[in-house]
Amino acid sequence: MTSLHFSPRVPVFDANVRVGDRRDEPSPCRNREQLLAEMDRHGVARALIYHAQTESVSPVEGNGYLAEWLGEDGRLYPQYSIVPTPDSMTQIEGLQAQGRVQSLRLYDTSPAGLPFRPWAFDELLGWLSQARIPLWISLPEATLAELMETLPGHPHLVTVLVGAHYSHFLWTRPLLKNLPNTYLELSRYEPIGEVEALRDEFGAERLLYGSWFSRYAMGPMLFYLHHTSLTDYELALVCAGNLDRIMQGEGRLD
Amino acid sequence: MTATTSRRFQAPISSSVKPPGGFFQEKDLIDGNRVIDFHGHSGRMDSFGMVDKPELMLHAMDKAGIDVACLFHIFQPDGTTSNDTNARFIAQHPDRFVGFAYVSPTMPQRMLPELARAIDMLHFVAIKLYPPYTPWPFNQAEWFPIYEFANQRGLAIIFHTDSYPTNRPRFLADIAPLYPRANFVAGHSGNTQEARAEAIAAAQAYPNVYLETCSTYRTPGVIEQLVNEAGADRVLFGSDIPLMDPRPQLGKIITADISDEAKRLILGGNASRLLGI
Repeated sequence: MTSLHFSPRVPVFDANVRVGDRRDEPSPCRNREQLLAEMDRHGVARALIYHAQTESVSPVEGNGYLAEWLGEDGRLYPQYSIVPTPDSMTQIEGLQAQGRVQSLRLYDTSPAGLPFRPWAFDELLGWLSQARIPLWISLPEATLAELMETLPGHPHLVTVLVGAHYSHFLWTRPLLKNLPNTYLELSRYEPIGEVEALRDEFGAERLLYGSWFSRYAMGPMLFYLHHTSLTDYELALVCAGNLDRIMQGEGRLD
Repeated sequence: MTATTSRRFQAPISSSVKPPGGFFQEKDLIDGNRVIDFHGHSGRMDSFGMVDKPELMLHAMDKAGIDVACLFHIFQPDGTTSNDTNARFIAQHPDRFVGFAYVSPTMPQRMLPELARAIDMLHFVAIKLYPPYTPWPFNQAEWFPIYEFANQRGLAIIFHTDSYPTNRPRFLADIAPLYPRANFVAGHSGNTQEARAEAIAAAQAYPNVYLETCSTYRTPGVIEQLVNEAGADRVLFGSDIPLMDPRPQLGKIITADISDEAKRLILGGNASRLLGI
């Protein structure tokens, strides 16, 4: 029998949290304290955060807004965004030199007409691969053809595909099969039984819990993961262990 | 934030129709409460991973604590083909699945006979309508015979609602007062913020309007908004099973910042009253 109340039974490290306001959408959490309160309400110990302004306005300026959210308690980890421009590269290389880059998020250049093709991104991806920095890529803005054209050229680059939806159902298996260093973040992935099916086919080490709060509520996917046939060991991997390993620069091909 | 349950509630007209077999009552899977999923499908959409395998659906329902799922098949405009397909699916597990009838005004001559057959012969307990598969907003006359049928029988109708021109929840406010013995349910509660506001306004204005919760958006605070603005006695848990796994959709209710009593109403109490099951 399940309960009207829920709290996780394994440590949770949310792989996908957006902080701050989009230009068209104020965040429900106005500051760090409110975000931590929301995490506490759902039993989320740690979160990897990026700033909403990096999504559609400026990755360079948006990255600068992250500092006020981080604090000193080790609960919120920064994820900076990157775009292949000299200013962005200079900013990220500077942060990297300070030891502050454990992952990056790819800015969507498609609205500006720059596709995710090797001739546009190989230099950036090559540097990330060499520096062992994992890259988060948003699937709603991606095309399958471009992912499969570009990422196989960087087999040691760890990528996390975020925001897969049921409309991406036909993508997930080809991506996970052909890109062995790619992980699937689960915030929107609701086709029936798919968490257990992908666990069976690819292993729990390929899946990551992310809520994509504040775009989506923080609790529902966590509830889902705790009501599957995943073992507690597998659940711990999906809810925190895999992300810890990725953030330490470990890839599956190492 | 605590939900209130004091808003007006119009008791549904008791249906004389009961589905064959008993419903799942032995376990009552969540804290002894029977959980009824008000929004589900039979049929397949393979490109989205929507597969109506009973074992897959029951596994997800059992893991989360869902006792009964209400199902409809909406892909055949004659209604008959869809409803027969749905009935065959439900017959595999009549204690866990309940049928809703489907008809379309694109074949108007078939609507009423098929509704009568589905309710009286197939023992379906409510009606599902899908305006996106028609050219007509659901406040137009093409739909009215269905509403009159539901009004005469005291049935609930669930609509797909969202921001598109045929599906606006504000249409509920046009039809609900004309058919006071029927109950009207905004599937997805409009999905988007603007459409959700229309759905809530209709529920506030008319006691026979309800709001159903499934949505791929899962926006923070939506369940709390529905409860606080329309009342917990007007909100129905739905998941869109098997297009979507019911577990995260149930998680929306369980992890919402609302009272236990509100959760009980949303998860099954309201649906039980509305459907007479």
